[in-house]
Amino acid sequence: MTSPILEAKGLTKRYGGRTVVDDLDLECYPGAVLGLLGPNGAGKTTTLRMLYGFVPPNAGSIRYAGRDFFEHRTETKRMIGVCTQDDSLDYDFTVSQNLFIYASYFRPRIEDPAARVAELLDRFALAPYADESPHVLSGGFVRRLLIARSIVHRPDVLFLDEPTTGLDPSARLDAWELIDAMRSDGLAIVLTTHYMDEAERLSDRLLVIHEGRDVAHGRPHEVIGDLLGDHVVVIPRDEPRRDRIDAWLRGRGAEHVASVLGEVRVPVSKDDLVALSAEFEGATWQVRPPNLDDLFIALSRQQGKQP
Amino acid sequence: MSAAESLGAAWHWQSWAVLRRNALVFVRNWKTAVVPPAMEPVIFFLAFGIGFSGYIENLDYQGVSINYATYVAAGLIAYTGFGTPYYEALYAAYVRMFYQKTWDGILATQVELPSVVWGEILWASLRGMVNISIVSLVVGVFDLLGVVDVRLPFLLCMPFLGFVAGLAFASFALIFTAIVPGIDHMNYPVFLIGWPLSLVSNTFFPIDPSHPVLRVLWQLNPVYQLAEAARGLLVLGDPGSHLVGLLGSTLLLLIPSTLLAVRLTRKRVLGE
Repeated sequence: MTSPILEAKGLTKRYGGRTVVDDLDLECYPGAVLGLLGPNGAGKTTTLRMLYGFVPPNAGSIRYAGRDFFEHRTETKRMIGVCTQDDSLDYDFTVSQNLFIYASYFRPRIEDPAARVAELLDRFALAPYADESPHVLSGGFVRRLLIARSIVHRPDVLFLDEPTTGLDPSARLDAWELIDAMRSDGLAIVLTTHYMDEAERLSDRLLVIHEGRDVAHGRPHEVIGDLLGDHVVVIPRDEPRRDRIDAWLRGRGAEHVASVLGEVRVPVSKDDLVALSAEFEGATWQVRPPNLDDLFIALSRQQGKQP
Repeated sequence: MSAAESLGAAWHWQSWAVLRRNALVFVRNWKTAVVPPAMEPVIFFLAFGIGFSGYIENLDYQGVSINYATYVAAGLIAYTGFGTPYYEALYAAYVRMFYQKTWDGILATQVELPSVVWGEILWASLRGMVNISIVSLVVGVFDLLGVVDVRLPFLLCMPFLGFVAGLAFASFALIFTAIVPGIDHMNYPVFLIGWPLSLVSNTFFPIDPSHPVLRVLWQLNPVYQLAEAARGLLVLGDPGSHLVGLLGSTLLLLIPSTLLAVRLTRKRVLGE
Protein backbone atom coordinates (compact mmCIF):
# COMPACT_ATOMS: atom_id res chain seq x y z
CA MET A 1 0.00 0.00 0.00
CA THR A 2 1.25 3.53 -0.80
CA SER A 3 2.44 5.55 2.17
CA PRO A 4 0.74 8.84 2.90
CA ILE A 5 2.69 11.84 1.67
CA LEU A 6 1.02 13.95 4.37
CA GLU A 7 0.21 12.59 7.78
CA ALA A 8 -1.06 14.68 10.70
CA LYS A 9 -1.89 13.30 14.10
CA GLY A 10 -3.54 14.91 17.10
CA LEU A 11 -3.51 18.41 15.62
CA THR A 12 -4.80 20.86 18.18
CA LYS A 13 -4.97 24.62 18.05
CA ARG A 14 -6.19 26.94 20.77
CA TYR A 15 -6.72 30.68 20.57
CA GLY A 16 -7.06 32.14 24.03
CA GLY A 17 -9.19 29.67 25.91
CA ARG A 18 -10.99 28.42 22.80
CA THR A 19 -10.06 25.20 21.06
CA VAL A 20 -10.41 25.77 17.34
CA VAL A 21 -8.99 22.46 16.17
CA ASP A 22 -9.23 19.53 18.51
CA ASP A 23 -7.12 16.37 18.20
CA LEU A 24 -7.47 16.06 14.44
CA ASP A 25 -5.89 13.25 12.41
CA LEU A 26 -5.63 13.27 8.63
CA GLU A 27 -3.75 11.62 5.81
CA CYS A 28 -3.33 12.41 2.15
CA TYR A 29 -1.90 10.09 -0.49
CA PRO A 30 -0.14 10.77 -3.79
CA GLY A 31 -2.62 11.04 -6.63
CA ALA A 32 -5.56 11.55 -4.28
CA VAL A 33 -7.74 14.46 -3.22
CA LEU A 34 -8.68 14.89 0.41
CA GLY A 35 -11.74 17.11 0.78
CA LEU A 36 -11.85 19.08 4.00
CA LEU A 37 -15.42 20.05 4.78
CA GLY A 38 -17.30 21.84 7.47
CA PRO A 39 -19.46 24.89 8.07
CA ASN A 40 -17.96 28.34 8.56
CA GLY A 41 -15.87 28.44 11.72
CA ALA A 42 -15.44 24.68 11.82
CA GLY A 43 -11.65 24.97 11.82
CA LYS A 44 -10.86 24.13 8.18
CA THR A 45 -8.73 27.16 7.46
CA THR A 46 -6.88 26.90 10.79
CA THR A 47 -6.16 23.25 9.98
CA LEU A 48 -4.77 24.21 6.59
CA ARG A 49 -2.70 27.02 8.07
CA MET A 50 -1.12 24.58 10.50
CA LEU A 51 -0.45 22.09 7.74
CA TYR A 52 1.39 24.59 5.58
CA GLY A 53 3.17 26.23 8.46
CA PHE A 54 1.46 29.59 8.88
CA VAL A 55 0.62 28.87 12.51
CA PRO A 56 2.12 26.29 14.85
CA PRO A 57 -0.22 23.78 16.48
CA ASN A 58 -0.44 23.59 20.27
CA ALA A 59 -0.21 19.82 20.02
CA GLY A 60 0.15 17.15 17.40
CA SER A 61 2.54 16.15 14.67
CA ILE A 62 2.73 16.77 10.92
CA ARG A 63 4.86 14.62 8.64
CA TYR A 64 5.55 15.00 4.95
CA ALA A 65 6.87 11.84 3.29
CA GLY A 66 7.65 10.57 6.76
CA ARG A 67 9.72 13.61 7.73
CA ASP A 68 8.72 15.73 10.69
CA PHE A 69 7.53 19.13 9.50
CA PHE A 70 8.90 21.02 12.48
CA GLU A 71 12.33 19.41 12.46
CA HIS A 72 12.77 19.74 8.69
CA ARG A 73 10.66 22.77 8.05
CA THR A 74 12.55 24.37 5.17
CA GLU A 75 13.03 21.07 3.32
CA THR A 76 9.45 19.94 3.80
CA LYS A 77 8.06 23.35 2.79
CA ARG A 78 9.75 22.74 -0.53
CA MET A 79 7.31 19.83 -0.96
CA ILE A 80 4.22 21.99 -0.41
CA GLY A 81 2.23 24.14 -2.79
CA VAL A 82 -0.26 26.59 -1.35
CA CYS A 83 -3.11 28.28 -3.14
CA THR A 84 -4.97 30.44 -0.64
CA GLN A 85 -8.48 31.67 -1.26
CA ASP A 86 -7.39 35.32 -1.41
CA ASP A 87 -5.94 36.74 -4.59
CA SER A 88 -2.28 37.22 -3.64
CA LEU A 89 -0.94 37.57 -7.17
CA ASP A 90 1.90 40.00 -7.58
CA TYR A 91 0.34 42.74 -9.66
CA ASP A 92 3.68 44.48 -10.06
CA PHE A 93 4.61 41.74 -12.54
CA THR A 94 3.17 40.23 -15.68
CA VAL A 95 1.54 36.82 -15.78
CA SER A 96 4.72 34.98 -16.72
CA GLN A 97 6.83 37.08 -14.34
CA ASN A 98 4.48 36.03 -11.54
CA LEU A 99 5.54 32.46 -12.19
CA PHE A 100 9.22 33.34 -12.43
CA ILE A 101 9.26 35.41 -9.26
CA TYR A 102 7.39 32.72 -7.36
CA ALA A 103 9.91 30.15 -8.56
CA SER A 104 12.65 32.29 -6.99
CA TYR A 105 11.20 31.70 -3.52
CA PHE A 106 12.25 28.05 -3.47
CA ARG A 107 15.52 26.21 -2.85
CA PRO A 108 16.87 23.99 -4.26
CA ARG A 109 16.19 26.09 -7.32
CA ILE A 110 13.76 24.91 -9.93
CA GLU A 111 15.51 23.25 -12.83
CA ASP A 112 15.12 25.19 -16.06
CA PRO A 113 12.55 27.70 -14.80
CA ALA A 114 11.93 29.08 -18.31
CA ALA A 115 10.81 25.67 -19.53
CA ARG A 116 8.67 25.14 -16.44
CA VAL A 117 6.98 28.52 -16.81
CA ALA A 118 6.32 27.89 -20.50
CA GLU A 119 4.85 24.49 -19.65
CA LEU A 120 2.53 25.95 -17.03
CA LEU A 121 1.44 28.85 -19.24
CA ASP A 122 0.54 26.33 -21.90
CA ARG A 123 -1.14 23.86 -19.59
CA PHE A 124 -3.25 26.47 -17.83
CA ALA A 125 -4.12 28.25 -21.11
CA LEU A 126 -2.36 31.39 -19.90
CA ALA A 127 0.10 31.68 -22.78
CA PRO A 128 -1.89 34.39 -24.62
CA TYR A 129 -1.63 36.57 -21.50
CA ALA A 130 1.99 35.79 -20.64
CA ASP A 131 3.18 39.37 -21.09
CA GLU A 132 0.05 41.03 -19.78
CA SER A 133 -0.61 42.30 -16.30
CA PRO A 134 -2.81 39.99 -14.22
CA HIS A 135 -5.24 42.92 -14.11
CA VAL A 136 -6.51 41.92 -17.55
CA LEU A 137 -7.42 38.41 -16.44
CA SER A 138 -10.97 37.31 -15.67
CA GLY A 139 -11.74 35.69 -12.31
CA GLY A 140 -11.36 32.23 -13.77
CA PHE A 141 -7.96 33.01 -15.25
CA VAL A 142 -6.77 34.69 -12.06
CA ARG A 143 -7.58 31.42 -10.31
CA ARG A 144 -5.72 29.49 -12.99
CA LEU A 145 -2.67 31.66 -12.47
CA LEU A 146 -2.87 31.26 -8.69
CA ILE A 147 -2.99 27.48 -9.05
CA ALA A 148 -0.25 27.42 -11.69
CA ARG A 149 1.92 29.59 -9.44
CA SER A 150 1.39 27.25 -6.48
CA ILE A 151 2.80 24.27 -8.40
CA VAL A 152 5.64 26.05 -10.21
CA HIS A 153 8.19 24.30 -7.97
CA ARG A 154 6.67 20.84 -8.59
CA PRO A 155 5.39 20.18 -5.07
CA ASP A 156 4.21 16.81 -3.81
CA VAL A 157 1.25 18.19 -1.87
CA LEU A 158 -1.01 21.02 -2.96
CA PHE A 159 -3.34 22.90 -0.64
CA LEU A 160 -6.30 24.43 -2.40
CA ASP A 161 -8.38 26.65 -0.18
CA GLU A 162 -11.78 27.18 -1.80
CA PRO A 163 -10.34 27.21 -5.31
CA THR A 164 -13.57 27.94 -7.17
CA THR A 165 -15.20 30.48 -4.90
CA GLY A 166 -16.51 33.37 -6.96
CA LEU A 167 -16.11 31.63 -10.32
CA ASP A 168 -18.88 31.28 -12.88
CA PRO A 169 -20.07 27.72 -13.65
CA SER A 170 -17.92 27.40 -16.75
CA ALA A 171 -14.78 28.57 -14.97
CA ARG A 172 -15.57 26.18 -12.12
CA LEU A 173 -15.73 23.26 -14.52
CA ASP A 174 -12.40 24.32 -16.01
CA ALA A 175 -10.88 24.45 -12.54
CA TRP A 176 -12.22 20.98 -11.81
CA GLU A 177 -10.55 19.66 -14.94
CA LEU A 178 -7.25 21.19 -13.88
CA ILE A 179 -7.51 19.75 -10.39
CA ASP A 180 -8.38 16.35 -11.78
CA ALA A 181 -5.41 16.50 -14.14
CA MET A 182 -3.04 17.41 -11.30
CA ARG A 183 -4.34 14.47 -9.31
CA SER A 184 -3.71 12.22 -12.30
CA ASP A 185 -0.13 13.48 -12.33
CA GLY A 186 0.32 12.06 -8.84
CA LEU A 187 -0.09 15.25 -6.82
CA ALA A 188 -1.68 14.87 -3.39
CA ILE A 189 -4.31 17.58 -3.00
CA VAL A 190 -5.97 18.89 0.13
CA LEU A 191 -9.07 20.79 -0.88
CA THR A 192 -11.51 22.90 1.08
CA THR A 193 -14.71 24.01 -0.52
CA HIS A 194 -18.21 25.15 0.26
CA TYR A 195 -19.56 23.56 -2.92
CA MET A 196 -20.81 20.15 -2.04
CA ASP A 197 -20.99 18.93 -5.61
CA GLU A 198 -17.36 19.93 -6.02
CA ALA A 199 -16.30 18.04 -2.91
CA GLU A 200 -18.24 14.95 -3.96
CA ARG A 201 -16.90 14.94 -7.50
CA LEU A 202 -13.28 15.79 -6.79
CA SER A 203 -12.53 14.15 -3.46
CA ASP A 204 -11.32 10.61 -3.08
CA ARG A 205 -11.76 10.94 0.64
CA LEU A 206 -13.53 13.43 2.85
CA LEU A 207 -12.83 14.72 6.30
CA VAL A 208 -15.77 16.50 7.86
CA ILE A 209 -14.86 18.89 10.65
CA HIS A 210 -17.35 20.31 13.06
CA GLU A 211 -16.28 22.60 15.90
CA GLY A 212 -12.67 21.60 15.28
CA ARG A 213 -13.31 17.88 15.58
CA ASP A 214 -13.43 15.06 13.07
CA VAL A 215 -17.09 14.09 12.82
CA ALA A 216 -16.71 11.80 9.83
CA HIS A 217 -14.09 10.70 7.38
CA GLY A 218 -13.83 8.25 4.53
CA ARG A 219 -15.10 7.98 0.99
CA PRO A 220 -17.80 10.56 0.18
CA HIS A 221 -20.72 8.13 0.07
CA GLU A 222 -19.55 6.43 3.28
CA VAL A 223 -19.28 9.74 5.09
CA ILE A 224 -22.76 10.79 4.05
CA GLY A 225 -24.21 7.39 4.90
CA ASP A 226 -22.56 7.38 8.33
CA LEU A 227 -23.89 10.78 9.25
CA LEU A 228 -27.24 10.98 7.51
CA GLY A 229 -28.44 7.48 6.68
CA ASP A 230 -29.66 5.95 3.45
CA HIS A 231 -32.33 8.30 2.13
CA VAL A 232 -33.59 11.84 2.29
CA VAL A 233 -37.33 12.42 2.15
CA VAL A 234 -38.24 15.75 0.59
CA ILE A 235 -41.74 16.94 1.45
CA PRO A 236 -42.88 19.81 -0.79
CA ARG A 237 -44.29 22.97 0.74
CA ASP A 238 -47.74 22.38 -0.79
CA GLU A 239 -48.20 18.91 0.76
CA PRO A 240 -51.19 19.38 3.13
CA ARG A 241 -49.92 16.85 5.66
CA ARG A 242 -46.40 18.23 5.68
CA ASP A 243 -46.43 19.29 9.33
CA ARG A 244 -47.88 16.01 10.46
CA ILE A 245 -45.30 14.04 8.51
CA ASP A 246 -42.57 16.24 9.92
CA ALA A 247 -43.81 15.69 13.47
CA TRP A 248 -44.20 11.97 12.89
CA LEU A 249 -40.63 11.65 11.63
CA ARG A 250 -39.29 13.68 14.52
CA GLY A 251 -41.29 11.48 16.87
CA ARG A 252 -39.43 8.48 15.45
CA GLY A 253 -36.15 10.16 16.29
CA ALA A 254 -35.30 11.64 12.88
CA GLU A 255 -32.42 14.08 13.24
CA HIS A 256 -31.17 16.86 10.97
CA VAL A 257 -34.64 17.90 9.81
CA ALA A 258 -34.09 20.87 7.53
CA SER A 259 -36.57 23.34 6.09
CA VAL A 260 -35.47 24.94 2.85
CA LEU A 261 -37.89 27.51 1.37
CA GLY A 262 -40.81 25.69 2.97
CA GLU A 263 -39.66 22.32 1.73
CA VAL A 264 -38.87 19.81 4.48
CA ARG A 265 -35.85 17.55 4.02
CA VAL A 266 -35.44 14.66 6.40
CA PRO A 267 -32.71 12.02 6.26
CA VAL A 268 -34.31 8.69 7.14
CA SER A 269 -33.38 5.03 7.41
CA LYS A 270 -34.80 2.31 5.17
CA ASP A 271 -37.15 1.13 7.96
CA ASP A 272 -38.46 4.64 8.57
CA LEU A 273 -39.13 5.05 4.89
CA VAL A 274 -41.22 1.88 4.79
CA ALA A 275 -43.16 2.95 7.89
CA LEU A 276 -43.69 6.44 6.46
CA SER A 277 -45.18 5.01 3.27
CA ALA A 278 -47.60 2.91 5.29
CA GLU A 279 -48.57 5.73 7.67
CA PHE A 280 -49.12 8.46 5.10
CA GLU A 281 -50.47 6.67 2.08
CA GLY A 282 -51.22 9.05 -0.76
CA ALA A 283 -49.03 11.86 0.55
CA THR A 284 -46.65 13.52 -1.87
CA TRP A 285 -42.93 13.37 -1.28
CA GLN A 286 -39.72 12.59 -3.06
CA VAL A 287 -37.00 10.24 -1.98
CA ARG A 288 -33.42 10.78 -3.04
CA PRO A 289 -29.99 9.73 -1.84
CA PRO A 290 -28.45 12.09 0.69
CA ASN A 291 -25.75 14.43 -0.53
CA LEU A 292 -23.19 16.68 1.02
CA ASP A 293 -25.60 19.61 0.93
CA ASP A 294 -27.77 17.75 3.42
CA LEU A 295 -24.77 17.07 5.58
CA PHE A 296 -23.58 20.64 5.42
CA ILE A 297 -26.99 22.04 6.30
CA ALA A 298 -27.33 19.54 9.14
CA LEU A 299 -23.96 20.48 10.59
CA SER A 300 -24.56 24.20 10.21
CA ARG A 301 -27.93 23.99 11.98
CA GLN A 302 -26.41 21.86 14.70
CA GLN A 303 -23.72 24.48 15.17
CA GLY A 304 -26.34 27.23 15.26
CA LYS A 305 -28.02 25.52 18.19
CA GLN A 306 -24.84 25.57 20.20
CA PRO A 307 -24.46 28.44 22.69
CA MET B 1 11.38 31.10 16.44
CA SER B 2 14.18 32.41 18.63
CA ALA B 3 15.54 35.97 18.61
CA ALA B 4 18.81 34.69 17.15
CA GLU B 5 16.96 33.01 14.30
CA SER B 6 14.91 36.15 13.65
CA LEU B 7 18.07 38.27 13.51
CA GLY B 8 20.06 35.65 11.60
CA ALA B 9 17.43 35.66 8.87
CA ALA B 10 19.16 38.80 7.55
CA TRP B 11 21.73 36.54 5.88
CA HIS B 12 19.29 33.93 4.66
CA TRP B 13 18.68 33.49 0.94
CA GLN B 14 14.97 34.00 1.64
CA SER B 15 15.52 37.61 2.74
CA TRP B 16 17.56 38.28 -0.37
CA ALA B 17 14.80 36.77 -2.53
CA VAL B 18 12.35 39.30 -1.06
CA LEU B 19 14.90 42.08 -1.60
CA ARG B 20 15.35 40.93 -5.18
CA ARG B 21 11.60 41.00 -5.76
CA ASN B 22 11.35 44.62 -4.61
CA ALA B 23 14.43 45.60 -6.57
CA LEU B 24 12.96 44.12 -9.76
CA VAL B 25 9.79 46.15 -9.31
CA PHE B 26 11.90 49.25 -8.72
CA VAL B 27 13.92 48.68 -11.89
CA ARG B 28 10.71 48.02 -13.81
CA ASN B 29 9.24 51.33 -12.62
CA TRP B 30 12.50 53.26 -12.48
CA LYS B 31 11.20 56.35 -14.24
CA THR B 32 8.67 57.03 -11.51
CA ALA B 33 10.57 55.32 -8.71
CA VAL B 34 13.91 57.09 -9.00
CA VAL B 35 13.60 60.68 -10.12
CA PRO B 36 10.63 62.16 -8.21
CA PRO B 37 11.56 60.86 -4.71
CA ALA B 38 15.21 61.78 -5.17
CA MET B 39 14.23 65.28 -6.24
CA GLU B 40 12.83 66.13 -2.82
CA PRO B 41 16.19 66.48 -1.05
CA VAL B 42 17.63 68.16 -4.12
CA ILE B 43 14.86 70.77 -4.02
CA PHE B 44 15.44 71.17 -0.29
CA PHE B 45 19.09 71.71 -1.00
CA LEU B 46 18.37 74.33 -3.61
CA ALA B 47 15.74 76.06 -1.47
CA PHE B 48 17.41 76.01 1.93
CA GLY B 49 21.05 75.44 1.15
CA ILE B 50 21.47 77.82 -1.75
CA GLY B 51 18.54 80.07 -0.90
CA PHE B 52 19.43 80.70 2.73
CA SER B 53 23.18 80.81 2.20
CA GLY B 54 23.05 84.41 1.14
CA TYR B 55 21.35 85.41 4.40
CA ILE B 56 23.33 83.27 6.86
CA GLU B 57 26.87 83.97 7.89
CA ASN B 58 29.47 81.27 7.76
CA LEU B 59 29.27 78.65 10.50
CA ASP B 60 32.08 77.35 12.61
CA TYR B 61 32.26 73.59 12.32
CA GLN B 62 34.90 72.17 14.64
CA GLY B 63 37.22 75.04 13.96
CA VAL B 64 36.54 75.21 10.22
CA SER B 65 34.49 78.02 8.75
CA ILE B 66 31.89 76.69 6.31
CA ASN B 67 29.01 78.29 4.48
CA TYR B 68 25.44 77.25 5.22
CA ALA B 69 25.07 75.34 1.94
CA THR B 70 28.01 73.14 2.91
CA TYR B 71 26.45 72.57 6.32
CA VAL B 72 23.10 71.61 4.79
CA ALA B 73 24.67 69.33 2.17
CA ALA B 74 25.65 66.82 4.86
CA GLY B 75 22.32 67.36 6.60
CA LEU B 76 20.40 66.53 3.47
CA ILE B 77 22.38 63.35 3.04
CA ALA B 78 21.33 62.39 6.58
CA TYR B 79 17.76 63.52 5.89
CA THR B 80 17.67 61.33 2.79
CA GLY B 81 19.32 58.43 4.60
CA PHE B 82 16.63 58.63 7.22
CA GLY B 83 13.56 59.59 5.21
CA THR B 84 13.90 57.22 2.28
CA PRO B 85 14.06 53.93 4.21
CA TYR B 86 11.68 55.19 6.89
CA TYR B 87 8.92 56.14 4.47
CA GLU B 88 9.58 53.16 2.21
CA ALA B 89 9.12 50.80 5.16
CA LEU B 90 6.03 52.70 6.26
CA TYR B 91 4.06 53.28 3.09
CA ALA B 92 5.38 50.98 0.42
CA ALA B 93 5.70 48.01 2.79
CA TYR B 94 2.20 48.66 4.10
CA VAL B 95 0.80 48.67 0.58
CA ARG B 96 2.55 45.38 -0.16
CA MET B 97 1.37 43.87 3.09
CA PHE B 98 -2.20 45.14 3.28
CA TYR B 99 -3.47 46.12 -0.15
CA GLN B 100 -1.47 44.00 -2.56
CA LYS B 101 -1.26 40.90 -0.33
CA THR B 102 2.27 40.45 -1.67
CA TRP B 103 3.49 39.16 1.67
CA ASP B 104 0.69 36.57 1.80
CA GLY B 105 1.82 35.24 -1.56
CA ILE B 106 5.46 35.12 -0.50
CA LEU B 107 4.66 33.45 2.81
CA ALA B 108 2.87 30.67 0.95
CA THR B 109 6.31 29.58 -0.29
CA GLN B 110 9.46 28.48 1.50
CA VAL B 111 10.07 32.05 2.64
CA GLU B 112 9.47 32.59 6.35
CA LEU B 113 8.13 35.71 7.98
CA PRO B 114 11.41 37.02 9.50
CA SER B 115 12.85 36.93 6.00
CA VAL B 116 9.96 38.98 4.66
CA VAL B 117 10.68 41.56 7.38
CA TRP B 118 14.41 41.48 6.64
CA GLY B 119 13.80 41.64 2.91
CA GLU B 120 11.84 44.85 3.47
CA ILE B 121 14.52 46.27 5.79
CA LEU B 122 17.31 45.53 3.34
CA TRP B 123 15.32 46.86 0.42
CA ALA B 124 14.37 50.10 2.19
CA SER B 125 18.01 50.65 3.11
CA LEU B 126 19.09 49.98 -0.45
CA ARG B 127 16.59 52.56 -1.67
CA GLY B 128 18.10 55.00 0.78
CA MET B 129 21.47 54.21 -0.75
CA VAL B 130 20.17 54.97 -4.25
CA ASN B 131 18.66 58.28 -3.22
CA ILE B 132 21.76 59.30 -1.26
CA SER B 133 23.82 58.56 -4.37
CA ILE B 134 21.68 61.02 -6.34
CA VAL B 135 21.93 63.68 -3.62
CA SER B 136 25.69 63.11 -3.39
CA LEU B 137 25.97 63.57 -7.13
CA VAL B 138 24.14 66.90 -6.89
CA VAL B 139 26.35 68.00 -3.99
CA GLY B 140 29.38 67.03 -6.07
CA VAL B 141 28.20 69.18 -8.97
CA PHE B 142 27.65 72.14 -6.65
CA ASP B 143 31.11 71.63 -5.22
CA LEU B 144 32.56 71.86 -8.71
CA LEU B 145 30.51 75.02 -9.23
CA GLY B 146 31.95 76.45 -6.03
CA VAL B 147 28.64 76.70 -4.21
CA VAL B 148 29.69 74.23 -1.51
CA ASP B 149 33.08 73.13 -0.33
CA VAL B 150 33.30 69.42 0.45
CA ARG B 151 35.96 66.73 0.16
CA LEU B 152 34.74 65.11 -3.02
CA PRO B 153 36.18 61.58 -2.58
CA PHE B 154 34.25 61.18 0.65
CA LEU B 155 30.97 61.63 -1.20
CA LEU B 156 31.52 58.05 -2.35
CA CYS B 157 31.19 56.89 1.28
CA MET B 158 27.83 58.55 1.81
CA PRO B 159 25.60 55.84 0.27
CA PHE B 160 27.27 53.18 2.41
CA LEU B 161 26.85 55.20 5.61
CA GLY B 162 23.22 55.70 4.62
CA PHE B 163 22.72 51.99 4.01
CA VAL B 164 23.94 51.08 7.49
CA ALA B 165 21.78 53.68 9.23
CA GLY B 166 18.87 52.88 6.93
CA LEU B 167 18.65 49.38 8.40
CA ALA B 168 17.74 50.90 11.76
CA PHE B 169 15.27 53.41 10.32
CA ALA B 170 13.50 50.79 8.22
CA SER B 171 13.22 48.29 11.07
CA PHE B 172 11.82 51.02 13.32
CA ALA B 173 9.26 51.99 10.67
CA LEU B 174 8.14 48.38 10.24
CA ILE B 175 6.91 48.39 13.84
CA PHE B 176 4.32 50.98 12.83
CA THR B 177 3.58 49.20 9.58
CA ALA B 178 2.63 46.16 11.62
CA ILE B 179 0.31 47.98 13.99
CA VAL B 180 -1.40 50.87 12.22
CA PRO B 181 -5.06 50.03 11.56
CA GLY B 182 -5.13 51.89 8.23
CA ILE B 183 -2.86 53.84 5.96
CA ASP B 184 -4.29 57.15 7.23
CA HIS B 185 -2.85 56.31 10.65
CA MET B 186 0.62 56.54 9.12
CA ASN B 187 0.28 60.27 9.87
CA TYR B 188 1.32 59.49 13.46
CA PRO B 189 4.75 58.00 12.72
CA VAL B 190 5.25 60.48 9.87
CA PHE B 191 4.37 63.75 11.54
CA LEU B 192 5.03 62.96 15.18
CA ILE B 193 8.28 61.03 14.72
CA GLY B 194 9.61 61.29 11.19
CA TRP B 195 9.45 65.02 10.69
CA PRO B 196 10.64 66.13 14.15
CA LEU B 197 13.49 63.62 14.10
CA SER B 198 14.65 64.69 10.68
CA LEU B 199 14.64 68.36 11.68
CA VAL B 200 16.31 68.28 15.08
CA SER B 201 19.23 66.01 14.28
CA ASN B 202 21.78 68.59 13.15
CA THR B 203 20.47 68.32 9.63
CA PHE B 204 19.33 71.85 8.79
CA PHE B 205 20.66 73.67 11.84
CA PRO B 206 23.05 72.81 14.66
CA ILE B 207 21.68 71.83 18.04
CA ASP B 208 23.91 71.40 21.03
CA PRO B 209 21.74 70.38 23.96
CA SER B 210 23.06 71.44 27.33
CA HIS B 211 21.06 69.03 29.47
CA PRO B 212 22.97 65.76 30.05
CA VAL B 213 19.90 63.59 29.41
CA LEU B 214 19.32 65.30 26.09
CA ARG B 215 22.98 64.86 25.25
CA VAL B 216 22.71 61.11 25.80
CA LEU B 217 19.53 60.97 23.70
CA TRP B 218 21.30 62.82 20.92
CA GLN B 219 24.13 60.31 21.00
CA LEU B 220 21.61 57.49 20.68
CA ASN B 221 19.91 59.15 17.72
CA PRO B 222 21.18 57.54 14.48
CA VAL B 223 19.98 60.50 12.37
CA TYR B 224 22.18 62.83 14.37
CA GLN B 225 25.10 60.40 14.17
CA LEU B 226 24.60 60.02 10.42
CA ALA B 227 24.48 63.80 9.90
CA GLU B 228 27.59 64.37 11.98
CA ALA B 229 29.52 61.43 10.47
CA ALA B 230 28.67 62.68 6.98
CA ARG B 231 29.60 66.26 7.88
CA GLY B 232 32.82 65.20 9.55
CA LEU B 233 33.88 63.29 6.44
CA LEU B 234 32.78 65.92 3.93
CA VAL B 235 34.19 68.92 5.78
CA LEU B 236 37.15 67.55 7.74
CA GLY B 237 37.81 64.21 6.11
CA ASP B 238 37.41 62.66 9.56
CA PRO B 239 34.12 61.44 11.04
CA GLY B 240 35.58 61.45 14.54
CA SER B 241 33.65 59.39 17.03
CA HIS B 242 30.47 59.65 14.99
CA LEU B 243 31.29 56.63 12.87
CA VAL B 244 31.36 54.47 15.97
CA GLY B 245 28.34 56.38 17.26
CA LEU B 246 26.51 55.66 14.04
CA LEU B 247 27.25 51.93 14.21
CA GLY B 248 26.36 51.76 17.90
CA SER B 249 23.13 53.72 17.66
CA THR B 250 22.15 51.76 14.56
CA LEU B 251 22.58 48.45 16.35
CA LEU B 252 20.78 49.74 19.43
CA LEU B 253 17.76 50.65 17.33
CA LEU B 254 17.97 47.86 14.75
CA ILE B 255 18.02 44.82 17.03
CA PRO B 256 15.01 45.53 19.26
CA SER B 257 13.06 47.11 16.40
CA THR B 258 13.56 44.09 14.16
CA LEU B 259 12.58 41.64 16.87
CA LEU B 260 9.49 43.68 17.68
CA ALA B 261 8.60 44.14 14.02
CA VAL B 262 8.85 40.38 13.42
CA ARG B 263 6.66 39.68 16.41
CA LEU B 264 4.02 42.28 15.53
CA THR B 265 4.02 41.36 11.86
CA ARG B 266 3.53 37.71 12.75
CA LYS B 267 0.55 38.68 14.83
CA ARG B 268 -0.91 40.85 12.11
CA VAL B 269 -0.24 38.76 9.03
CA LEU B 270 -0.44 35.24 10.43
CA GLY B 271 -2.82 35.94 13.32
CA GLU B 272 -0.38 34.30 15.70
